[in-house]
Amino acid sequence: MKLAVVVQRYGHAINGGAELHARYIAERLARHAQVEVLTSCATDYITWRNDLPEGLEQLNGVTIRRFRVKHERDPEAFGRLQDRVFDETHSIADEIDWLDAEGPTSPALIDHIARHAGDHDFWIFFSYRYYHAYYGSRAAGPRAVLVPTAERDETIGLSIFAPMFRSVRALMYNSPEERLMIQSVSGNESVPGVVVGVGSDVPQNPQPARFRAKYNLRGPFAIYVGRIDENKGCPELFEFFQGYAKSTQGRLTLVLVGNSVLPIPKHPRIRHFGFLDDADKFDAMAAADLLIMPSYYESLSMVTLEAWALGKPALVNAKCDVLKAQCIRSNAGLYYESFAEFVEALSALERQRWLSVSLGRNGRQFFRDHYDWSVIERKYLDMFDRLRKEPAAARTEHDPGWLDRRRETIPPAREVLAKLPKGPALGSAGVSSNTGDPGRKRA
Amino acid sequence: MADFTVRSDAVNVEQIMEQIRARIREKRGVDYTEEQIRELAAVKLQKFLDPRGVRSDLLEQFRKTQPPYEPPQLPNFAFEDSTLFESHRGPLRFIRRLLRPILKLFFNPNPLIQALHIQSKVNTMLAEREARLEASRRSTESLYYELIHNLVLETTRLGIEVKNLTMRVESLSSRQDFNERRARALESAVVYKGSQGSQGSVGSAGAQGSLGSGSPGSPGSVGSAGSAGSAVSGAAGAPGGQMQPPTPGAGEGPGQRSRRRRRRRGRRSGPPAAVVMGGTGSPAAPAAPAAPHAQSTTAETVQQAIAVESHSTEPAPAAPAPQPSVDAAPPPAPPREPDSQ
Repeated sequence: MKLAVVVQRYGHAINGGAELHARYIAERLARHAQVEVLTSCATDYITWRNDLPEGLEQLNGVTIRRFRVKHERDPEAFGRLQDRVFDETHSIADEIDWLDAEGPTSPALIDHIARHAGDHDFWIFFSYRYYHAYYGSRAAGPRAVLVPTAERDETIGLSIFAPMFRSVRALMYNSPEERLMIQSVSGNESVPGVVVGVGSDVPQNPQPARFRAKYNLRGPFAIYVGRIDENKGCPELFEFFQGYAKSTQGRLTLVLVGNSVLPIPKHPRIRHFGFLDDADKFDAMAAADLLIMPSYYESLSMVTLEAWALGKPALVNAKCDVLKAQCIRSNAGLYYESFAEFVEALSALERQRWLSVSLGRNGRQFFRDHYDWSVIERKYLDMFDRLRKEPAAARTEHDPGWLDRRRETIPPAREVLAKLPKGPALGSAGVSSNTGDPGRKRA
Repeated sequence: MADFTVRSDAVNVEQIMEQIRARIREKRGVDYTEEQIRELAAVKLQKFLDPRGVRSDLLEQFRKTQPPYEPPQLPNFAFEDSTLFESHRGPLRFIRRLLRPILKLFFNPNPLIQALHIQSKVNTMLAEREARLEASRRSTESLYYELIHNLVLETTRLGIEVKNLTMRVESLSSRQDFNERRARALESAVVYKGSQGSQGSVGSAGAQGSLGSGSPGSPGSVGSAGSAGSAVSGAAGAPGGQMQPPTPGAGEGPGQRSRRRRRRRGRRSGPPAAVVMGGTGSPAAPAAPAAPHAQSTTAETVQQAIAVESHSTEPAPAAPAPQPSVDAAPPPAPPREPDSQ
């Protein structure tokens, strides 16, 4: 079997969620099939500057084929277009302009896919929101499999993506919430889909004491791992944690791991260690008492899964449906919607040792049952088997004409998003259904 | 493939979150969601925004003092595609129009025309926007003024209320002290009066021992005070019959002297017992027998006071005391002070 993985960025030092997800999947599937990765030369997701050389290279047994990005992103023009499509009634042409402005605009990559569509059994596209996935999935035709990594943000409300969700051969979802959201916005219940997620190479024997010694860290601490960014809910985390430190007798310190694009408050109990390599990161997580995940938008949160794999409980932002639902499904974490809940939940996890241990144990079991690599690989291979056996449905949707593309009748994406169902998709959140699941419900 | 449900019997996250929310509700009374809080905040503001909801006419006064806002007339220009070629002279306008293609051979005036046209529109839009913002700012300022005024008013009112409550608490506290001292004085007065006259209801209580010879129908009667007094001394005061009944004007016993000393101490520390009791006896003549009626009243008051005291402070007796009734024997004597024996 020959597979192609298409993703916006790829490399050892690239740690974006979807990019890491793609790398893990490519490297794991390389054990069962011949895998080639097609990506851009960019390493920066804001400018898409061509930092890496074009052409072929090898990484961990996977061939990588890089294509140049035609133009860098112009933040101002992109911002204007984004305001228009998110907040105003607009046209399909506006959305196409927005997509081109977002990037990474690489026509060479799309041409290559169109020319070699038949060379691979399946083309796995990561991140529905980018140029490569939109045009690439159309070029690959019935061999396109999409890993949407969709979050509950305005982009999902753009009209150009609904036909894409309906026309790909299959979708590999990260969570039941993501599946329900995409099905609600596009009506693609007939497209084969499975909730898969991603595993992680968590070390069996992390060294928490080594981390504490190396960074001179004493006492209990909560950890946040990821980009320190407004979109990740970090300002709210800082505010809540400072309130907790001020108003309670709690002894926890907040340890931040990751690159920061925000000023971090000067507080004796907030420590920032910057970007750490995997060994240090896992040591830090093993040394922590719990993980805090304050993000509003997550399609899965690999860091939370890694914390659970290490037997650590999580405290997550309940405004993110996926995180809340994962906590409820796994019984491995608490969630907060307000400052009072943050303080109470954090205090409960700090003081009630039995609770912390029980949640961590549940998390470890949840990870083993659903996110162990053997489970993930099996789900992908089962899906490919199924797709090989089933004939591809004929594509019935046609692209809108020149005039239709320019009619300003598309509602603002924010309005579309507001109409989508909210809350965790609990109930029969099965992992293998491909059609509308009547038993599924919103909590 | 397994479903996404892992349930531990020991931990249920949803239940824990419910408990956490219940604890928060206990702490702050009501658990509002953020949406509810926003809604409440909006309602409060609407009250202020509605002039009928504002309690004073302060906002009106403030508005009167402020000159009405009129947006300034900013200079602007109108620029259309024909502006460059306009003229009040008809032939000149015609010639210009005629020569326009030739002009366009030298340079393209269209971008210039478009830019100036857009600029004039932008100027107009900005002026309108500025006027709207200024008007909005002024109305918000008025609102803040009113809001702050009402807040100051409420804060002052609350401050006064707190002072009133503090004074009330102090008053109640002093009244309580006074009542405590009064109760102590009453206790000592009971003993003093009881042994002083050995009459009234106290005497009648002791008269149980001589009921065989006395009249059962007159336990509290003044007429039987003398015999009742002897009965007291015989039955309760002196089991061996050695102590003599005190007589007014006669020599005082050692117990009586000690009671007098206690009374003096009581007088120094608080109001006189007789005054407290509302009796007519003077501190100068404590041993003088009062009028029979007054004595009887005083004794009843004392009995009630002691009963109240014993009810409130002492544990209930093991056996229930017989309820006094009209045709029954008089009630038993109330508990006595140790030094009265």
